[in-house]
Amino acid sequence: MTKLDDLMKLPGAMAAFEFRGSGELLEQRIAYPDRIDESILDLLAHMCAANMSIATMQARGWEKVTTMKGFYPVQEFTLIGFDWSVVVSGLHREQYKQAGKFSLPPFMGVVMANDKADYEAAFTILEQQESGQ
Amino acid sequence: MEDIVGMGIASDLLAKPGVIAVGEYAYRGDRFSYRGALTEEYARMASIMCRATTMGANMEGAMFEALRSGSGLHPPRGWVVHGPAHTVCVVANMFCLLDNTKASINDIVGFMCRELASVTPDMI
Repeated sequence: MTKLDDLMKLPGAMAAFEFRGSGELLEQRIAYPDRIDESILDLLAHMCAANMSIATMQARGWEKVTTMKGFYPVQEFTLIGFDWSVVVSGLHREQYKQAGKFSLPPFMGVVMANDKADYEAAFTILEQQESGQ
Repeated sequence: MEDIVGMGIASDLLAKPGVIAVGEYAYRGDRFSYRGALTEEYARMASIMCRATTMGANMEGAMFEALRSGSGLHPPRGWVVHGPAHTVCVVANMFCLLDNTKASINDIVGFMCRELASVTPDMI
């Protein structure tokens, strides 16, 4: 059982996916292939990679300028669409970086229907350590 | 400090556990207003960053709509940045700064989406 499978158990989960820091889709689970396909997830993964980078830049800058702490590193970025939300996390990448590792794990994300979305439960799964790490 | 449209919602948000500050920014121009534990300069900076990210999210939603109409992501309602101790929630043109140890993100996002559902993105 992988973390992608765990994410698919979230209420309203429509898809779960892994992607590189540069945005390329690596692996996915799709609950409704008639509504979400690999083409959609590939574009979504590239957008999420860009959003994570921008959010990280803003969090870094905000902490430097205001001296307020607790924004960086960004753990999750969530885009709330009209009917769906997507939550992506790069927390494990940050943990690898802090441990001095050069080979970083992929980003992970989940697409959920808004009417059932449990954002905090998604954060919890995304922040769980994979076994063996 | 000047009210724009929906700062009545700010009082309700500020009464919720873990809400540090609430602000509202104009989609166009540099007007903003805020309540809570921010200086005016920090609120101005937060408004600019939130506006920039909201504009990016709306561009992305439009791109999705062009690729696949009715994808469920368009038009975007907002976005959330979750840090180790603080979270920024943005819905429509309002932002909310949260203390993670006290705030319920599900509650805040749900409240903002309900209360700001009538704010149209026409001005974007």
